Amino acid sequence: MKMDRRRFLTLTGTFTGGSLLLPDFLYSFGAQNGLVLGEQCVIFVQLNGGNDGLNTFIPFEDALYYNLRPTIALSKNEVLNSSKGMAFHPALKGFASMQQSGDLSVIQNVGYPNPVRSHFRSQEIWQTAPTNQEYLNDGWLGRYLDLQCKEHQPTAGINIDSIDNLALKGEEANSITVKDPNRFKTKSKSENESLLSNNPQLDFVRKIANSVVEGSNDIQKAVAKSAVSDVVYPKTGLAKNLEWISKLIKGNLNSKIYYTSLGGFDTHDNQLAIHKNKLKELNDAVYSLYEDLKKSQQLQNVTIVVFSEFGRRVKDNGRGTDHGTAAPMFIIGGNNRGKIIGNNPNLSDLDNGDLKYEIDFRSVYASILKNKLAFDASEIGIQNKALEGLF
Amino acid sequence: MDNHTLWSLRLGYSGKQSKTIEKIGLKKFLEQSYDTKVDSKIPDFLENSPKSLDEYKELRKKYKTSSPDEVKEMRKKEGQTSFDMKAWWIAKMNEDEFPLREKMTCFWHNHYVSTFQKVKVNYWVFQHNQILRENAFGNFKILTKKIIQSNAMVRYLDNVDNRKDKLNENLSRELLELFTLGIGNYTEDDIKNGAKGLAGLGIGEENAVYRRFFEYDESFDYFGKKGNFKIEEMIDIIFEQPNIPYLITRKILKWFIYDNPKDELVQYYGDYFKKMKFEIQPLLTKIFTEEFAKNNSGSKIKNPLEYSLQLRNELNIENPNGKLIAFFLKEQGMDLFNQPNVKGWDGGNSWLTSQVFLQRNNVADMLCNGKNLARGKKEMDENSMMKQNPNTLLNVKLNWNKEGNNKEIIAELKNRLLFQTDETEQKDFEKILKYDFDSKTEGSEYAVMRLFNFMIKTPEFQLI
Repeated sequence: MKMDRRRFLTLTGTFTGGSLLLPDFLYSFGAQNGLVLGEQCVIFVQLNGGNDGLNTFIPFEDALYYNLRPTIALSKNEVLNSSKGMAFHPALKGFASMQQSGDLSVIQNVGYPNPVRSHFRSQEIWQTAPTNQEYLNDGWLGRYLDLQCKEHQPTAGINIDSIDNLALKGEEANSITVKDPNRFKTKSKSENESLLSNNPQLDFVRKIANSVVEGSNDIQKAVAKSAVSDVVYPKTGLAKNLEWISKLIKGNLNSKIYYTSLGGFDTHDNQLAIHKNKLKELNDAVYSLYEDLKKSQQLQNVTIVVFSEFGRRVKDNGRGTDHGTAAPMFIIGGNNRGKIIGNNPNLSDLDNGDLKYEIDFRSVYASILKNKLAFDASEIGIQNKALEGLF
Repeated sequence: MDNHTLWSLRLGYSGKQSKTIEKIGLKKFLEQSYDTKVDSKIPDFLENSPKSLDEYKELRKKYKTSSPDEVKEMRKKEGQTSFDMKAWWIAKMNEDEFPLREKMTCFWHNHYVSTFQKVKVNYWVFQHNQILRENAFGNFKILTKKIIQSNAMVRYLDNVDNRKDKLNENLSRELLELFTLGIGNYTEDDIKNGAKGLAGLGIGEENAVYRRFFEYDESFDYFGKKGNFKIEEMIDIIFEQPNIPYLITRKILKWFIYDNPKDELVQYYGDYFKKMKFEIQPLLTKIFTEEFAKNNSGSKIKNPLEYSLQLRNELNIENPNGKLIAFFLKEQGMDLFNQPNVKGWDGGNSWLTSQVFLQRNNVADMLCNGKNLARGKKEMDENSMMKQNPNTLLNVKLNWNKEGNNKEIIAELKNRLLFQTDETEQKDFEKILKYDFDSKTEGSEYAVMRLFNFMIKTPEFQLI
C-alpha cells in the first residue's frame, strides 16, 4: 500500500510538471521532516582511486596518527577542528561549515568484511552490494530502480560520467549516462560545437549518437524550466556536473538517483599536494551545490552521499599511502541529523596495518533507501539493518 | 582494428573469418569463396507452397472462392513461410565457412529487387534468390538476362500486365534506370520502346516466358538500333552502351567498402569490369586485393545484418533465433525480401537514424545481459509462430585472452570491434578495466563484458 501511494505521488509529479498540482494537505506533509514525497532524490559522489580517509577526516589528537604517518600527517595547527578529537582536512572548509550548520553527517570506519584492495573489485562490491562478495551483474541502485519503476523509465537515474555505472545497471535501463550535459542546452548549438574528424562517416554517426540519449527530451525540458542559480560554481569538472544535477533537480526532472564521480584519489606518491588539490575540488564543488540547494530550498529533498571504494593504509609509504580498507562516508542534506556516527578510527587495533571497519556500507545504503526513498533494502538483497541515527 | 578482422567483416558478417584470411591470405580466401557450392535443394518450409503453374492457378482459384477468413488464413500461412525463408537465409549467412557468396547474393538481392509483399508466391521469390546465389560470382550480363526472366521479376515490376495493346513500362524503365545504365544514359523513347520488346513476357512454369498472343510483333528503335528485339537481344544492346559498367561498380564499392566511393575509383574499376567482359569474379578480386592494401577502415556504416551477426558471433550465441534476427532487421530498416521500393535499401547514412541508433544500443545492452533481441515486444510474445520463446535467456560468452592485463585485453577487444579509437576513449576503457584488473579472479568476465558493452555503443563500432 505504501508503495502504491508513493508511486501515485511520483506519478502526479511527473504528469503535472512537478508538484504544483499536489493538494495542499500533501504539501504541508512534505514540509515535515523525514516524510518522503515524490521529489526526494539522492546524489552520489564517488571518489575514485581510494580516498585517504585518515587525511580527510583526521584523528588529530591521536599520537599514533603522527607516529604512523611521519611524512604525510597534517599538523594540529592546520586542520579544521570538528569535534570529539576529529578534524577536517584544511581544504574541506565547506565540509566543516556544513557540519556546523548541522547539515553534514560523518559516518566513521565504513567498510565491509574481508576487504578487497583491488580498485576494480572493491568498486564492484560497493556498486553491487553483494551479501558474501558474490558476483552480481546488476548494481544495487539498478535493482532498486527495477522495482521502483513500474515501466521502463530512462531518467529515473542519471549518471553524469563518460562511462556507464555498474551501480545503476539493472534488468531494465532505468538510468542514462550523460557524458556532457552541455549539449542539453540547445540542440543546434551542440551540433556546431562537435569536433569534426577527417572522416565524414564517423562525424555523421557521432552526430546521431549525440542526439539520441534516451530521455533527452525530459532533460532538456527540465533544463529549460530550471531557475537560474545565483551561486557561482567553480570551473572544475565535478562542479560542472553538480551544477547540472542541481539544474535538473530544480527543473523537476524527478529522477531518484544522480551519480557522478571524481578521480585521482589513488595517492601512492606525492600525496600531500595531490590530495589537497582533489579535496579542494571536491569541497568547492559540493559546497556550491549545497549553497545552491539551500537557497532554492531544495536541501531537505536532496541527500548527497560522498564515498570511495576504500581508504588507505594507516602507515605512509614515504610520500604516499597504499590501498587500505575502512574510511569515512559523508552525508549532506536530506534532513540528516548532522552527527558524527561511529567511533574514531582505532589506530592501535589494526588488521595487517589497515583499519578495521565498524559500520557496513550496506547498512548505510539500507538507511538511505529506507529513510529517503521509502524502500526496504531487503527487497534488493541487502540484509544489513539500516544504520540508525543518520536521518 | 586488425585488417584481417576488418576484411572478415567486409567480406562476410563478422570477424569469424579473420583467422582464415590471415592464414591463407586474401587471394586464396577469395578463390575458395568463389569455389563454394550452391545448395540447390528446395527447403522443407516450401513443401506446401505452390510451385508449378497449375498449383499456382489452383491457389488463385481458391482465393477467389474462399471466404474472407479462409483467405486471410492462407495469406497468413504464406507470410509465415516467408519468415521461415528469412531465417533460412540468415542461417546461411551466419554459418557459411565462406560467407562471401551470401554477401554477394544479398548485394544482388538489393539490386534486382523483387519483394515477397508484391510477388506473394514464396517459391518464385526462392527461385529468384537462387538465381542470385548461383550467379553471385558469374557474369553480370548473363545474370541480368536470367533475373529479368524470372517469374518473381515479371510479377514484381508488372510485366505480367505488359501487353502489345496495353503497354506497361515499369520493367522496361527499371531495367535501364536501376538495373543497368542508370539515369542519363538512355532516353524516354528507349523506355517506351523497350516496353514493346518486353510485352507478353509473363509467368511461366520455371521462369518467365513470352505469351504469343500478347507479344509485340513489329520492329522498334532501341538505342539507335532497329528491330523486333526480345529481352535477350535488348540486354545485349544495353551492354554495348559505354556507361554500362559504372552503376554496378559503384554499388559494389558501396556495398563492401565505401559509403561514398570516389568517382575516379568507380571509373577505374568499372573500366576493368568492362575489359573483363562483365565477369564478376575478376572484378571482385581486383577491388578487394587493391583495397585491402589501402588504409580505408571506417568508411562504411554497418548495415543491420553486419551489426547483428557480428554481435552474435562475438557473444558466441549458439543457435540464434533466425526469426528474431529477421524481426530486428525489419525494425532496423533491412527487411529481407521486402525492400521499401524497387530502388532497394539506400545504405550509407540512411542506415542510421536516431531511432535506429537508439535501438542498436538498447539491443547491445540486452544481448550483453543475455537477453534476446526484441525481448518483451508484444508482437513477438503473442506470435504463435515463434517456436523459441524470445524471453529465454541466452548464454552469452566473450572470448578474450585470460593471460592478458587490462591494457592487453582492451587492445584485443579494440582490434576486433573498433576501427579506431582516440585517447579519451582509451581512458574510458581503462576506467572500466583498471590497471589492477586480474583476469584470474572469479567474476572478471563481467567486467570484460561491461567493457565490450561500452565499446559496442561507441560511434566507432557502427563503422567498418
